Amino acid sequence: MEGQSILLKNPVSHTLWRRIVRHKSIYLVASLSFIYFIIFKYVPIWNAQIAFRDFQALEGVTGSPWIGFKNFSDFVNSYYFWELIRNTVFYSLGKMLFSVPAAVFLAVALYECRVFWLRKTVQTMAYLPHFLSWVIMYAILLAILSPSNGILNDFIKVFGGEPISFMTDTKAFPWIVILSDTWKETGWSAIIFLAALMGIDPCLFEAAAVEGASAWQRVRYITLPAIKPVIVVVVLLKLGTVLDAGFNQIFMLYSLPVYSVADIIDTWIYRQGILEFRFGLATAVGLFKGVFGLLLLVGSNKLIKRYTGNGLY
Amino acid sequence: MTSTIKLTRSDRVFHIFIDAALALILALLIIPIWSTLTLSFRPNDFIGSALDGMILPPWKWSTAAYKALLGHRSFLSAAGNSFRIFFEGVITALFFTVPLAYALSIKTLPGRKLLYGIVLVPYLFNPGLVPNYLLVTKLGLTNTLAAVFLPGAVSVYNTLIMKSFFEELPEELKESARIDGASELTVLLKIILPLSKPILLTIGLYYGVHFWNDFFNAMLYINDAKLQPLPILLRNILLSSGMNEYVEANAFGEAPIYAIKAASVFLAAIPMLVAYPFIQRYFVKGTMLGSIKG
Repeated sequence: MEGQSILLKNPVSHTLWRRIVRHKSIYLVASLSFIYFIIFKYVPIWNAQIAFRDFQALEGVTGSPWIGFKNFSDFVNSYYFWELIRNTVFYSLGKMLFSVPAAVFLAVALYECRVFWLRKTVQTMAYLPHFLSWVIMYAILLAILSPSNGILNDFIKVFGGEPISFMTDTKAFPWIVILSDTWKETGWSAIIFLAALMGIDPCLFEAAAVEGASAWQRVRYITLPAIKPVIVVVVLLKLGTVLDAGFNQIFMLYSLPVYSVADIIDTWIYRQGILEFRFGLATAVGLFKGVFGLLLLVGSNKLIKRYTGNGLY
Repeated sequence: MTSTIKLTRSDRVFHIFIDAALALILALLIIPIWSTLTLSFRPNDFIGSALDGMILPPWKWSTAAYKALLGHRSFLSAAGNSFRIFFEGVITALFFTVPLAYALSIKTLPGRKLLYGIVLVPYLFNPGLVPNYLLVTKLGLTNTLAAVFLPGAVSVYNTLIMKSFFEELPEELKESARIDGASELTVLLKIILPLSKPILLTIGLYYGVHFWNDFFNAMLYINDAKLQPLPILLRNILLSSGMNEYVEANAFGEAPIYAIKAASVFLAAIPMLVAYPFIQRYFVKGTMLGSIKG
């Protein structure tokens, strides 16, 4: 009996131990990445406790006194709260409303185009802006919108109008943000739809042709339904990150005259935390955003899993 | 398909519509870039509208803005810093990303689930700007180039793309090496990495472009003018209205300020434009893996 149980038990622990030993060099190299993660990803999570403290630089993270949810209530009750939430959600959804249909249209057009050079050139030019930083984008926008040298204002002058300072105009600014993002990212977003189109079974098109379907009908009844699941996933994904309205873009483009329509949660955190040294308050807002972001992301992933049977993680 | 079947009238209209739409999109993509480019070459004595500037023949272009920038000390030092950030950043990022992605790709690795969880939590939950700022300043990275790339040296997204790539490599290759007595590290170095050049190049360039473009970390952590990378200098040039020290009377010679502004972004974008065709070959596959499978 005894001998038997040892025989039964040993192989399991034995193989587990052997598997661990076998992979010891992998543990060794991966441990460096592991340490990196602990320092650069988990220490900040630990630091986030200052959201509940009255942070004093000299006392450090753990030395500052606890104040509970005061930083949070200060933020929620502040005059800015709804303005920041509104602007953040507005820019996220606004960008989505423009860029998703644009990307679907671009993908379908590229897929249907029979002129090889046109397709290739548009593809190359459309993906490129994704790799430009917002500093560079700002210079390009200046070349178009600047009151003194911009081509748009040149048109206005040609037709006898007064040049408009678009970048500091509260009416124009939201459009600049949404349209410049559409210009920069549509091509990149189209890739995923294009990939879905490549997976369509050609038999469907042959069958449609035999039945005498027109090209319009082909798009309407085969192409668009084929990418519908991808559209749903992309929209859900974007809803999962609705609190990220694009810090780099807004930060680069905005200025004092347009703060009321431009300020998003992230830009506000930057100004309060880094420029005004209100670390506790800025951390509380960041934590607020982080927790809601987590809930949204987990929620959207659940929906994606239910819809496609395949989650993101 | 279309070659074997006679096009109907409505199909011809369809294709004209598609081609016209793409031509319009192409124009919308090119015009802003072209107007910035021509602005950078516009001579000092140019008279006329921006539209005239856009159709100015190339033999009337002036390279004064480019000469001024390339001959300017702060521009050259910023470019040098940016190149260092690019190369040191890419090497550091791959050094941390590759072993992690490989470990996650080994299905039989004890503790793999736990490691995956550790990687995923920071991906889903971001504690925000200030906690990161406190860490980086506490580590004494202020006024070092590492402050620009070290906080972002492992992107979970890139790690997962690379992991998917490793998982798709044929299992038999690794098995046969193991039977021959190779250790796991040897399998990684001798079998996996040589087969992974495309993904290393793609992910390396993703990181590189990200570090090259970054202005936020540089703005947060670098105050020393000698250590400023290009995006910070560009931002200073772009935001200056003519009163700034950078564009003070003689700083950039004869070229008009708007030409300097436009030229500076093209010089800063050149390395990326050079790298672009290389990435373009692989990024379709890369983004697909990342966004669908995770």
